[in-house]
Amino acid sequence: MNESVTRRKFLEVSAAGAALASSHLGFPQPSGQAAEAEAKPADDKAEKMFGAVIDCHAHLAYPGAADSDEKDRKLIEAADKLGIDQLCCSTLTPKRPATAEGFQTCNAKVAESMKRFAGRVLGYCYVNPGCGAEALDEVRRCIEDRGFMGVKLYNEYRCTEPVVFPLVELAIELRVPILHHAGHAHHPLPGQPNISDGGHLAELGKRYPEARLICAHVGGGGDWEWTIKALRHADNVFLDTSGSVVDEGIVEMAAEELGVDRLLFGCDMSMTAGVGKIRGARLGAEAKRKILGENMRQLLNMRG
Amino acid sequence: MIIDTNAYLGPFAFRQLRHNTADGLLRLMDEKRIDRAMVSSAIAVTYRNPQAGNEELAAAVERRRDRLIPFAVINPSYAGWLDDLQICHEKLGMKGLRLYPKWHNYALSDECLLALVEEATKRKMIVSIPIRVEDSRQQSWLVDIPDVPLAEIVVLVKACPETKFILLNGIGYTGSPLGKPAGGLPANYFLEISRLSATLADELGTLLAAVGPERLVFGSGMPFKYPDPALLKLEVLDAPEDVKEKIRSGNAVGML
Repeated sequence: MNESVTRRKFLEVSAAGAALASSHLGFPQPSGQAAEAEAKPADDKAEKMFGAVIDCHAHLAYPGAADSDEKDRKLIEAADKLGIDQLCCSTLTPKRPATAEGFQTCNAKVAESMKRFAGRVLGYCYVNPGCGAEALDEVRRCIEDRGFMGVKLYNEYRCTEPVVFPLVELAIELRVPILHHAGHAHHPLPGQPNISDGGHLAELGKRYPEARLICAHVGGGGDWEWTIKALRHADNVFLDTSGSVVDEGIVEMAAEELGVDRLLFGCDMSMTAGVGKIRGARLGAEAKRKILGENMRQLLNMRG
Repeated sequence: MIIDTNAYLGPFAFRQLRHNTADGLLRLMDEKRIDRAMVSSAIAVTYRNPQAGNEELAAAVERRRDRLIPFAVINPSYAGWLDDLQICHEKLGMKGLRLYPKWHNYALSDECLLALVEEATKRKMIVSIPIRVEDSRQQSWLVDIPDVPLAEIVVLVKACPETKFILLNGIGYTGSPLGKPAGGLPANYFLEISRLSATLADELGTLLAAVGPERLVFGSGMPFKYPDPALLKLEVLDAPEDVKEKIRSGNAVGML
């Protein structure tokens, strides 16, 4: 029958890995999960050495639908199967641009899920920058009162438009990262006239060097080679590895061009794609440890 | 044993590929414990005359036919396709075809395509159809090639009940007669798993229940894609070992 991907197997460093085979990594279980029976004493040391696996880009279902809770439960089940400890989640409105009422409903759902799946679900506060003060108030409330860990921006506005700047300044003040939807295609992306790309995020990062920006889903944002090259000199922009595209070499090129310290593991709901491309990448154990959780942990620690 | 029904050799027009020589692919297969792979020329997709790519492929796999099973890329709207097919089958030892209707600008309902499929079927060659080569969002400004619509494939598999088809790089079968238990189609096609979800929506599990394990085959898309995600799908699939074995290799062995 099905087998969960054990901590030992999660990071099977597949690349010619005699040297790395001994570094099959283990990770500590989050509280509330059963310890794996097959974990051996040798893994204990590894589990102390290697931190939690954090999916930097996940989504909870929009509330109201009959199967909303069931979908969220399946997400946690998938994370369990794949050895993912924590998921940084947002909920988006079905129709965009989001109204203030719409993103408030979404964020209330995330807050509820942070309690329902305590320790597993971390929350991004999703807002539409065009809602002005209501967006700013929502971010402050979610971060300061509800314990959210970041801000999620979608494609209502290009990230270089002035309407976005107050949100970036607030994120800097609150010491949280912004996960920004992004993509660069050579043909128009239907319905996304204002989508940001790696170049826009690099420009925003240059304008706000104190900000910590995450360029979303390199594996779901069009020409990934373009995106990686556009971010080359943007030191405060991180790149999320999520998306359904599992092109061989995508992770290695990102590591080579940006450095492993700027890469964040993510799935964006393409679960086996997200995990599989990290497993397949020809990178060493230390690099994968950083990508899988350590880099995101450092962003989470910004708030102290 | 694992047989990969979805592998390639050689360069691709729009992106550098690694592990794309016979030796390189075999090293990758060894690392992933993939025993055999059905391979075709990646560059033949964009050659005007794909036969040149088939010849390059045949030379590349010559010494490793025990593990690399060559498939020919044939464009039935290009002059001389029947000669090319004959050469690919009889001289170059190709076991199947890879068809690119959208890249090669013909329809699956065209007479030339039906003639090619008929000829391939007489030769007991497998006919594989990649639904896509790349994610459409990352295509070069030079091309804007749509995925092959499943509805067009439905018509083809119905029209050619004696042919063995493998559908590669596909998704969304559960919404098509191809993925339904009473889809009214002959049992002449196989669905390769590399893009099917194995968690959340779990299209793989849904298909397993709907059309049975006999219709699913392992494929990775290497070296375009990491083989690991496809392998991982089988790891997390909630199915007995004998079912997984059919998907890993049993069904492909039967086909070959």
